[in-house]
Amino acid sequence: MIEIAELTKRFGRTIAVDGLSFTVRPGQVTGFLGPNGAGKSTTMRMIVGLDRPTGGAALVGGVAYARHRAPLCEVGALLDAKAVHRGRSARRHLLALAQTHGLPARRVDEVLGAVGLESVAHRRAGGFSLGMSQRLGIAAALLGDPAVVILDEPVNGLDPDGVLWVRTLLKELAAEGRTVLVSSHLMSEMAVTAEHLVIIGRGRLLADTSVDELIARVVVDRTVVRSPRAAELSDLLVRRGARVTSEASGQLQVSGLAVETIGEVARRHDLTLHELTPARASLEQAYMELTGDSVEYRDERERSAA
Amino acid sequence: MTAQYRLSFGRVVRSEWTKLWSLRSTWWVLGLAGLLTVALASIVGWASRQDGGDGSVRAAVENAFIGVDGLSLILGVFGVVLMTGEYGSGLIRATLTAVPRRRPVLPAKALVLVAATLPFCVVVCFASFLAHQAFAGPAGDVTLADPGVVRATFGAAAAPVGLALLGLGIGTMLRHTAGALAAYVGAVLVVPALLGPMLPDRVEDDVLPYVPTFSGQAMYAVGESQTFPWLLSPGSGALVLAGWILVFLAGGATVLQARDA
Repeated sequence: MIEIAELTKRFGRTIAVDGLSFTVRPGQVTGFLGPNGAGKSTTMRMIVGLDRPTGGAALVGGVAYARHRAPLCEVGALLDAKAVHRGRSARRHLLALAQTHGLPARRVDEVLGAVGLESVAHRRAGGFSLGMSQRLGIAAALLGDPAVVILDEPVNGLDPDGVLWVRTLLKELAAEGRTVLVSSHLMSEMAVTAEHLVIIGRGRLLADTSVDELIARVVVDRTVVRSPRAAELSDLLVRRGARVTSEASGQLQVSGLAVETIGEVARRHDLTLHELTPARASLEQAYMELTGDSVEYRDERERSAA
Repeated sequence: MTAQYRLSFGRVVRSEWTKLWSLRSTWWVLGLAGLLTVALASIVGWASRQDGGDGSVRAAVENAFIGVDGLSLILGVFGVVLMTGEYGSGLIRATLTAVPRRRPVLPAKALVLVAATLPFCVVVCFASFLAHQAFAGPAGDVTLADPGVVRATFGAAAAPVGLALLGLGIGTMLRHTAGALAAYVGAVLVVPALLGPMLPDRVEDDVLPYVPTFSGQAMYAVGESQTFPWLLSPGSGALVLAGWILVFLAGGATVLQARDA
């Protein structure tokens, strides 16, 4: 369990994280979403004490991360896949981390096996591809068999096989009852991985919701209409201010007009309808809608600053 | 996991020990520095045989340990990079995630640095002295049994270790390899060279002995130095250098504790 309360981080005059509060619960994958620069990484760095909060607190299992007696056994974090000395072998890198907690060398070999790096365990990490580095970073995160796993953009640079592997791993970790927090700026990735979503923009909380709730919240502004007299109906709707496009004959995509109004118009002019469907928004749209403002606002501020 | 797994200072030291020896550069740097120092002592010994040295203990020790300045420079750089290398590679974030209280990290690195370099320097310095005497032949009729020689040899071994700790402190304060190296070279080479001309003569002798470079050199001088007659006594030199080390390590510890990684 991760509890974030009124967490704030300023860097000089910029506010990276602005009074953020949310809770990450065990047993499910929580996606941590936001546009680039939203404050995701800074928040994660504050959870493990790499950055000191300007205000508020981040607690893991009810206690600040640094106060745990065996921090690596509480939280496993992948914040930067390149946080490895290029000249050290993968195994020695993990061994040095394990030794701080008295974890046995056997555990190092276990996690190397779990991420599929046994064959390159003795190779220097500087020669690793980004995908291999990500796997090494995940191995380091799993070292202490932690109750909480925090991964910052873990699928960056992975090939499709690797992406699938991470997805499966995250779900397994959650199924084992662990708390799993995964950041991404891609909703499409989170849509297939996460059950719960924490979405932030400009350091503020935009949504703390399940995937299903998020879809339901989105304002629908597109209706699919099928009618044998589609052309006539289209003219009538356009006259009322709708935008109408047609991809197949007899079928219209209507936006800018409520479903109810479309139905009324059809009835009044005695036009048969074969379909009248408000389109279900995709998660991607829901996400764009939520974060759109914060991205635009940032642009405006940057423009006025320039 | 079970309760047996937890952080302790001893374990952090063990981890740093693994880190130190799992880099090839450690072996290269120490190996080459040792060879160069002994080789230099041998060449100087050979030269003094050609020139016919004065046979004094002071001269024998001064000549045998002529390479110790270079050894100090190399080990200082080694100390700097021991910390800045972690910032450069990003490893520091893994290190501080494993040891989030941070406080044990710098003392552990310092301890490991001493444990690795002190025995090494003792071997190199005894080898340097013996090689120098062997090449000097009759011109260097001084042995380890002469008064002050063994003490000077241990002093010559300790001074580079002290400067390595100084480098570690500077590296921890500045975090960037290039900047920290420049600062280290400035503190150890440039400042001592400039202070002489910059200071009026009447205060020069009161200031120069306390510069880290010279307090380190005082640790392996026997008798009064001809070039630097104002050098401190070996014991005082060691104390002054220890003071500098404490100041720089304390500065490093403060920065490490306070700044975001």
